[in-house]
Amino acid sequence: MRVEADGTVDVTVTVNGRAVTLAVAPRTTLSDVLRDRLGLTGTHVGCEHGVCGMCTVLLDGEAVRACLLFAVQCDGASLTTVEGLGSADDQHPLQQAFSHHHALQCGFCTPGMLMSSYDLLAGGTYSRDTLAEDMSGVLCRCTGYRGILAAVADVAETHADGVPPPRAAVPPALVGRTSGASPASSLALNARKSASSDTSPAEAPGEIPPEITAPTGPPTATVEVRSELASGVDDVWAVLADFDRLAACLPGAEMTADLGDDRYRGRATVGLGPVSLRFDGLAHVVEHDPVARRMRVLAQGTDRGGSSTQAVIRLAADPAEGGGTVLWADADVHLSGRVAQFGRALAGDVSRRLFEQFAEAVDEAARTGEAPTTRTSPLRLALGALLARIRRLVQRRR
Amino acid sequence: MKAAPFAYHRPDSVDEAVDALAGGDAKVLAGGQSLVPVLAMRLGRPGTLVDITRVPGLDDLEVTGGVLRIGAAVRQRTVERSEAARAVPLIGRAMPFVGHRELRSRGTVCGSLAHADPAAELPAVAACLDATVVLRGPRGTREVPARELVVGAMTTAAGPDELITEVRFPAAAPGDGFGFAEIARRHGDFALAGVAVHVRRGGGATLAAFGVSDRPVVRDVTALLGTDPTEAGLRPSTDALADEIVDTAGDSHGSRGYRARLLGVLAARELVRAYREAHA
Ligand SMILES: Cc1cc2nc3c(=O)[nH]c(=O)nc-3n(C[C@@H](O)[C@H](O)[C@H](O)COP(=O)(O)OP(=O)(O)OC[C@H]3O[C@@H](n4cnc5c(N)ncnc54)[C@H](O)[C@@H]3O)c2cc1C
Ligand code: FES
Ligand code: FES
Repeated sequence: MRVEADGTVDVTVTVNGRAVTLAVAPRTTLSDVLRDRLGLTGTHVGCEHGVCGMCTVLLDGEAVRACLLFAVQCDGASLTTVEGLGSADDQHPLQQAFSHHHALQCGFCTPGMLMSSYDLLAGGTYSRDTLAEDMSGVLCRCTGYRGILAAVADVAETHADGVPPPRAAVPPALVGRTSGASPASSLALNARKSASSDTSPAEAPGEIPPEITAPTGPPTATVEVRSELASGVDDVWAVLADFDRLAACLPGAEMTADLGDDRYRGRATVGLGPVSLRFDGLAHVVEHDPVARRMRVLAQGTDRGGSSTQAVIRLAADPAEGGGTVLWADADVHLSGRVAQFGRALAGDVSRRLFEQFAEAVDEAARTGEAPTTRTSPLRLALGALLARIRRLVQRRR
Repeated sequence: MKAAPFAYHRPDSVDEAVDALAGGDAKVLAGGQSLVPVLAMRLGRPGTLVDITRVPGLDDLEVTGGVLRIGAAVRQRTVERSEAARAVPLIGRAMPFVGHRELRSRGTVCGSLAHADPAAELPAVAACLDATVVLRGPRGTREVPARELVVGAMTTAAGPDELITEVRFPAAAPGDGFGFAEIARRHGDFALAGVAVHVRRGGGATLAAFGVSDRPVVRDVTALLGTDPTEAGLRPSTDALADEIVDTAGDSHGSRGYRARLLGVLAARELVRAYREAHA
């Protein structure tokens, strides 16, 4: 097998339990792929030449320097990053012990320290006498190491029969994305070989529409929005049943191609203060029940900056007393990459505002029989969400 | 700190690997723990990397007929854990000093020999035990004694188109004793000075010093153990030996004199340890 210097090759790796395929150039390091392509920025990069240990991850269960591996070498490998060790809600014992023993100050070395110490304990060669030497592969500039060694010793002693495995609490949406260098590369999960997100060219005729799989694992945020609309239920359902009009009601969203088979390509822009994300993605209407007036849509999108999202959206329209409609919009939203750093609270707020505005737009579209005219700009969405969030924070203080 | 572009070649056989190395612009990629930093710092720009780690047959690790064979794709950590490798206890003594756990999980034994860092542990172990390195190139297969492999700092007798396919270590015999020690500024750093020693009951002692010259320096030290095999008794002769061996100008981490002193102390200490082990 040979890949030329200016070429790319598809590499499949399992990251925190999830398979992902992406095209890489020979010289792309594993650390860059994890951070820049998969948005798993928990793996830090300090020196990029093997000295500091910040980039330590597990490859097939063993600690390695991600900066000293080219991604192309990892084809078929299984990787665990600090995101897979445990999550904020479900911390690995090592993470708890690091917190308990004040084993971090700035936290820059912490992912490396955690992965290295996990490897030490899982490898079964832990000894209190050689602990300092055994942990010398990762450098810390802050703590003086005492807390780190105490944390590792604590876990070793409380889990003398073996350290529990990584939680693999992976951010659910792990979507490989195109890099500027290799526009032909892309996609993850089963959604292989979709077109480049930068150019979104029309689907080649006869090309099999990409698959979208339902995300698994706990969502980043769950929203349930119940809205009372003035329009009648049949008019509302008519909007929902027409994907063109439905998409037009989503603030910041736009459908760019009907791929057939209830699959669509589109883009959505989300603005949040200084943040501006443009997701290119796919949607698939997996359930459509005109009698019960219910539908279920899977959506996924990636942003050029390393963020990705997946959502399972359920929409339902029920007649309300007095001729109006109750529109139900539920969504499980999964975020990964940089956007995930905003946290679930903000993600929930933004999604909720999005659906409230969606409901207003659906009402208008149902009334006029057209696409909504008062399209919500992404900016308004952002300000609305931020205001709501700030208000909530203020309320909590009281 | 990104490598310059290179082509990646992953051969399925040793022959294909050797073919891919022809032309002079290709480099073997084994564990990458020495090569990738070099590429990242742009100290080297090979046109092609030939990844030998998935070549069938290069992952052999076994003892046959009193010889431990370690193939070119065998990682240091695999050796560390291997039952077979216990046949050569000196490897196990040296291995914890080779970088860090996280590096040994990728770094190979043969890669360390090929890289030939003057302060590296494994070339010294191989030289001490008189191991044999097997090379394969366009002109066929040849064997080179480990003691002749390293011809200078990071320079070996292997041609650019030759691949080290395996290294063969003689298994320890009953009555063999070993010693290994080094001093580095921090654990996992390359040594300022280090020794590997092998003492045979009934006569024969070999010492290999590393970190103090441009290559491992091997000496027959049987005569030193003759009269008084204690640390105090050995020091005058190991100090003199160290003074003769150390061949570096010294640097900010240690002067020539400091390294000589380290070597004299470590040599005496490890010779006594190996002697006791051999006579236990
Ligand atoms: C922070 C750090 C600390 C380290 N500390 C130490 C230490 O204390 N002691 C020590 O000994 N090492 C140390 N090393 C290097 C060690 O980890 C390497 O594993 C080893 O020197 C090279 O083995 P490798 O398999 O990684 O070889 P690679 O990096 O893949 O290759 C090294 C060189 O050898 C060539 N090569 C590799 N295999 C073959 C082969 N089979 N045939 C022909 N040529 C080949 C390559 O082309 C390259 O030029 C350290 C490295 C780092 C990054
Ligand atoms: S970033 Fe990989 S070891 Fe420093
Ligand atoms: S906590 Fe700051 S580097 Fe370790």
